Amino acid sequence: MDGSLFRLKVLPFLGYFVVLMALAILGDFALHQFDLVWVGRYLGIPGTLLIPLSLIYSLRKRKIIRSGNPRLLLRMHEIFTWLGTLMILVHAGVHFNAILPWLALIAMLINVISGMTGRYLLDRSRRHLTGMHEKYSMRGLSKIEAEKELFWDAVTFDLMEKWRSVHFPISFAFAVLAVGHIVSIFLFWGWK
Amino acid sequence: MNRTVKLILIVNLAIIAVLVFAFADLMVSPGRLIYDHRASETDCFACHTAFLGASSEKCIACHKVAEIGVVTTKGTPVVNKKTKVPFHQKLLDQDCIACHSDHLGVAKYRLNQKFSHRLVATSIREECVGCHQRPTDPIHRQISDKCSQCHGTDKWKPATFDHDKFFVLDRDHDVKCAACHTTADYKKYTCYECHEHSPGKIREAHEEEGIRDYENCIACHRSADEDEAKRAWESLKRGIPYQFGPPSTEKDKRRRKKPDEDDD
Repeated sequence: MDGSLFRLKVLPFLGYFVVLMALAILGDFALHQFDLVWVGRYLGIPGTLLIPLSLIYSLRKRKIIRSGNPRLLLRMHEIFTWLGTLMILVHAGVHFNAILPWLALIAMLINVISGMTGRYLLDRSRRHLTGMHEKYSMRGLSKIEAEKELFWDAVTFDLMEKWRSVHFPISFAFAVLAVGHIVSIFLFWGWK
Repeated sequence: MNRTVKLILIVNLAIIAVLVFAFADLMVSPGRLIYDHRASETDCFACHTAFLGASSEKCIACHKVAEIGVVTTKGTPVVNKKTKVPFHQKLLDQDCIACHSDHLGVAKYRLNQKFSHRLVATSIREECVGCHQRPTDPIHRQISDKCSQCHGTDKWKPATFDHDKFFVLDRDHDVKCAACHTTADYKKYTCYECHEHSPGKIREAHEEEGIRDYENCIACHRSADEDEAKRAWESLKRGIPYQFGPPSTEKDKRRRKKPDEDDD
């Protein structure tokens, strides 16, 4: 494996995810430093509101709604989910209490990763793979030889494509778990 | 989404739903309860009312207000009482949640909340030593009056005691307490210990002005303001008590607020 697809496309994507996690940890740390832990507790509300708002793109994509610029809605989908995820991560902190919210959080993270995979990796990787095929054929390599050279890139791409297919089912699981968590809060919380 | 994925998803979510109802204490409870409440660990509605949260009514159902601090919920008399006054019985409002919480995961948020003394009836509120230990340092040992003279109920420090009412500690008087209060009785003081105020100098300065009775310095001197002292003396000489007020003149304010600035 020459690792080019992994190095050129997957690693920067991982970096983007690491930034999200680092900001979440930094946010949580800052709230603890400035004795503002209670802020994190309420960040769950705007974070949760941002995520359903971002779903306008998904509705537009599936033609359930017909108005709205898809490009703009996709950008909104990315920003809102990223910000919403960040807020919910800070909201969760590292407080290991109930299992249900943790399952919701894990589902959310898988959801974000699978979503980002689709957005950032697949298109670029497809282009990268086609480009490499063309490059090898121009060098006079046969199709079989080119495929041999690009074996690990193709494996990486296949894995990413499978990962992408996780996005919708995990979104559904996340929605159910998050609603379960929210209902439990409404059921037991003293709203004073 | 193909049928197999759908099926797997629905089965998994159904299992989680069953677990939520079967093991609510693990699935949705924000941490363990205190040891004495462990019997209610799996019965959320023993303390919570649906959509309203934990309610004081439910607390009081077990913890009868008249018995708090007197006997336990099992009827055993409380031996080591935490307060000398009937504290819970004198609360103005039976709002248990205002001060108490339980789940371990929620406890850390309680750190930001403070007990409000306003919840307690005035008669109990003024009996600070009913709940608090009297400080044993030399200043507090001799004070028998109300703590509220010097301290607020929000925090013990800084004390709200206003030394300026007795004497303004300006830049020339920025000294340790013991410089003037040479004994443990802080009602007593001396102005003679300072090199500026030797008995000889003080006598000379006052006799020049025809003042013979100068032992009680703060009768006229409440700050380094000589003009104010003169006004006070003139007033007292005529038998009229002088009203010492907050800093009134600009010069006076400057002297108190900006110790580095020359006021002459």
